[in-house]
Amino acid sequence: MNQPTSATDTSNLHPEGFTHIDAKGEASMVDVTEKAVTAREAVAEAYVEMQPETLRMIISGEHKKGDVLAVARIAGIQAAKKTSDLIPLCHPLMLTKVKVELIPEPSQNRIRIETLCKLAGQTGVEMEALTAASVAALTLYDMCKAVDKTMVVSGIKVLEKKGGKSGHWQLPSDSHQDAESSTHSDAPSTQKKDGYLSLRFFAGLRESLNCEHMELALIALDTSLGEDTSLGEVKAHLISIHPEWESALSASNVLMSVNQQMAKATTTVQAGDEVAFFPPVTGG
Amino acid sequence: MMSCRIYIKVQEAPFDLAVVNRGMTEGRTDIGAVVTFSGLVRDFNEKPDVQGLTLEHYPGMTEQALQQIAEEASERWSLQAVSVIHRVGHLTPGDPIVLVAVASAHRQAAFDSCAFIMDFLKTRAPFWKKENTREGDYWVSARTSDEDAAQRWHKG
Repeated sequence: MNQPTSATDTSNLHPEGFTHIDAKGEASMVDVTEKAVTAREAVAEAYVEMQPETLRMIISGEHKKGDVLAVARIAGIQAAKKTSDLIPLCHPLMLTKVKVELIPEPSQNRIRIETLCKLAGQTGVEMEALTAASVAALTLYDMCKAVDKTMVVSGIKVLEKKGGKSGHWQLPSDSHQDAESSTHSDAPSTQKKDGYLSLRFFAGLRESLNCEHMELALIALDTSLGEDTSLGEVKAHLISIHPEWESALSASNVLMSVNQQMAKATTTVQAGDEVAFFPPVTGG
Repeated sequence: MMSCRIYIKVQEAPFDLAVVNRGMTEGRTDIGAVVTFSGLVRDFNEKPDVQGLTLEHYPGMTEQALQQIAEEASERWSLQAVSVIHRVGHLTPGDPIVLVAVASAHRQAAFDSCAFIMDFLKTRAPFWKKENTREGDYWVSARTSDEDAAQRWHKG
């Protein structure tokens, strides 16, 4: 898996050739003075493959360097702002939005990084999105290299571009390195994977567990299949793999939801469901 | 009768009560009463010197929960419009934190439904407050008095 796609297919190449090389074949920054200001947006991704134990340490927050995902997220955002310093012919841009998401994918032993950059301007933002994804990936490597030197950064690519002359462009689906799990063009942050529950933790509970989000393979639960698994069983399973979570998770006032609706210990869950655990609410 | 117009918003920015009020009533002559509730950040709560608080929510679920509460109110009373705005992020004492505004033909429905919405917002909408004091930060605990207030709507 994770082989880069072959470059022999030329259907995605720009008909006018490379825009950063002038008529004499010399590198030059494109003059965009006369280009129209439009809302621009680009989405990019990258993957960091690692040992299962490394991924488990990151998700559980046991890593001694602290919250690896949070640091990598900030690194990606900072990097997007520095893109024009790093890429020689890239224009400096006034970014209006940078978003970096790190999504652990335990079934594939990797973390998927998805970045989004936006601005209203005269030039595209895919280099910023790619730089954010790359530096977030490198930061993951840097923070975890002490425990796992075999990590591989791969699949850095643009998924989607909006605005400008070329309008809306999306990576053709056959270009994905991993077609069966690439549902992200529809819903980047709520990616549904076969056989997995997406778990979220909020407020004081998130802090006690030191965990904001994790994916849990339903087949890992002792029940035969995912169809009839109850929230109570999910909770018991979490405590069995994280004994240190017991006091916080088994508190009688912990609330639960399934697909953003309040739920009870007897509520059953299915693969693809979003399950959340949180303390009693205190708004208003 | 026109169906109830429901406006739900979770935002970091402050809200303007006058704008919300005008949005609900402008161009209409069938509204006889508007009741609004504004909640503000107090400088005393579990500790006497609250310097600020941070509000967390569950994006998506919070809006759905508020929508459901507003819909329940509009089924229970005859309402023309309901607006619920709740702020998130960092707030300091004196800041407005929540606004519930209800428009109805008659005052009793507006008074009662406004209280109903606040009672359920406090017990069912996924928001969490973390208070900052000189001695440190802590997550606010839920109050049984809030649960009791919501329970009273189930009686009779």
